[in-house]
Amino acid sequence: MNTLYYFVLIPMVYFSFAVFFVGTGIRLVKIFGKPKQPTSLQIYPEKRPKWLWALHDTFLFPSVRKHKPVLWSFLILFHACLLLLIVGHLELLSEFKIFQLIPHEVFLGKGFVGLILCFALLFFLFRRFLSPVRELSVPEDYYLLILLFLIVLFGSQMDWARRWYGYEELLVEDYRTYLLSLLTLKPELPYNVTNSGHSFMLVLHVFFANLFLIFFPFSQSMHSFLSLPMNKLRRG
Amino acid sequence: MDQKTREDLLKLFQGKLNEAMTFYLETCTRCGVCIEACHVYASMGQVRYIAAYRQEIVRRIYKKYFKARGKMWPSVGEARELNEVALEELYEAAYSCTGCRRCMVYCPFGIDTQMIMSIAKLLLIGAHSEPEILTLLADTSIEKGRSLDLFKESFLAGIKKLEKEVVKKWKMEAGETAIPMDVEGADLLFVALAGAHSIIPTAAIFNAAGESWTLSFFEAVNFGAFAGDPARTQLILDRIVNEAKRLKVKEVCICECGTAFRVMKQLAGKQPFKVSSVTEVHARYIREGRIHLNRSTLNGVTTYHDPCQIARNGGVIDAPRYILKHLTNDFREMSPDPTYNWCCGGGGGLVALGEETLDFRMKSSKVKADQIKRTEATTVVTACENCHTQLCNLNEHYQMGVDVKFLSSMVADALVQN
Repeated sequence: MNTLYYFVLIPMVYFSFAVFFVGTGIRLVKIFGKPKQPTSLQIYPEKRPKWLWALHDTFLFPSVRKHKPVLWSFLILFHACLLLLIVGHLELLSEFKIFQLIPHEVFLGKGFVGLILCFALLFFLFRRFLSPVRELSVPEDYYLLILLFLIVLFGSQMDWARRWYGYEELLVEDYRTYLLSLLTLKPELPYNVTNSGHSFMLVLHVFFANLFLIFFPFSQSMHSFLSLPMNKLRRG
Repeated sequence: MDQKTREDLLKLFQGKLNEAMTFYLETCTRCGVCIEACHVYASMGQVRYIAAYRQEIVRRIYKKYFKARGKMWPSVGEARELNEVALEELYEAAYSCTGCRRCMVYCPFGIDTQMIMSIAKLLLIGAHSEPEILTLLADTSIEKGRSLDLFKESFLAGIKKLEKEVVKKWKMEAGETAIPMDVEGADLLFVALAGAHSIIPTAAIFNAAGESWTLSFFEAVNFGAFAGDPARTQLILDRIVNEAKRLKVKEVCICECGTAFRVMKQLAGKQPFKVSSVTEVHARYIREGRIHLNRSTLNGVTTYHDPCQIARNGGVIDAPRYILKHLTNDFREMSPDPTYNWCCGGGGGLVALGEETLDFRMKSSKVKADQIKRTEATTVVTACENCHTQLCNLNEHYQMGVDVKFLSSMVADALVQN
């Protein structure tokens, strides 16, 4: 069992991050290295400044708000919470003053960030069961949602345990020791990380996150990098 | 399909994979926001007409042959082999899409379905499965460009016959030419369609405005673009570009033809002349006081159908409304926002295919007919040959009892001679 924990928490993490960064990097370099579209793909009427409107379209999804307001609410919540989770994980590494401008406990969000994400992901998943989105969907779309749901569920569970039912065995300090050791390339597994009652949550969380990172560069998740340049094309 | 054919087709596919196309093929999350965007789906309700579904027909082949995933884990994206069945699906997707790009407005990323369909159309040409009539028409246009001298005399004689009709609409001084041709140093080159109705009214308006103009030997429409053949599209375009350069004109004015305008405005690249639609030029004459219109020629409610390639995809939105303000007091918009106007259902070569597509065109454009009925208009105005034909067909099929008119003819009929 310990070997399995070790494998998931150290070598697999390194491997996944390598695939994620190298894969995403190479794919982006390849895509942006292709010949540019020689003609305009703009939609009219145009609004200026075009780059500002492209940013607006990319980050606020105005067309979704107009045509699918309920989906839009979940999408905005989902993406905002995703951003907060990234901040939260950075804070597990070390304390950043800039994030503490609004003082909060690590992990931020009092457990609600993960809860909202869980609901949003279930919403995205269940709406794919309904026609006609069902006919449009391919397995990849379900895999990604299920994977993200599992990651968020097990990750949040560790947070909820500390906050909502007083399970205090696995502390922020333990995560920090583990994560920093990974970052400084001197990997170690503190006793609490592998031997507390909730260790399996951590292992499952990290395992599914690894799978997601490995799949990311080859999936539609690449829209996180391609949305802005595409929206720029539409704005001209 | 044998291996050699498949390889040749995949080479054609590869050639289309520039940066923008790769964005479009990599990104779709199949969120379904585009479901309501397509007039064909809105009218007929079949899933295969949803923009994202059409795209997937092409994207599945992309996933199979151009992504590492296609070999290691094809099922994750439902990657599909390129074979005869796939070609049939590509045909169905590409030739039920009018390329109106309404779905591009809905998509949170702005994926261009028309552009993805251009892959399907190119593969069909490669497999000799495209609608032959389109290629045939394109080749005729190209041939005309190659051997201008052969038909020049007969064309000039034909145009001479039209001059009487032009003078009927706008009287001219003795010695003036009603339809000038081949005039070097003219300000404006007018590219019309092969049809008197496309030449006569606008010629009268040019003369009324005292424009220094010359008529092109070539017709504006680009059948190469309908067939989705980049090489033929370019050859047809080059005929006009070369003529404009030879005559040293300052402006090329495209008649009421959506495809011709979009191709010339956005595919011609940087040229020593300006590209305008005839609608923009007419609006300019009114604004500058060069022509005056009689407002009392129209009765009842008038509405305007924005041709997709001219408005949403070409940017000419205010000019037709400005002109109509000078023609009628009772103008009513079809759609609160012209960007969201429904396509007439005849674009992308469907009208050019004639009777063959008539049944589909009528069924797939029910939403258009309903939209027109809601305006309670008695006159429907448009500025595109394709749209005009399709709207006339709809008028008959759905018994709408409206008058379908070209904007340019209305301007010509309302000219006031001082």
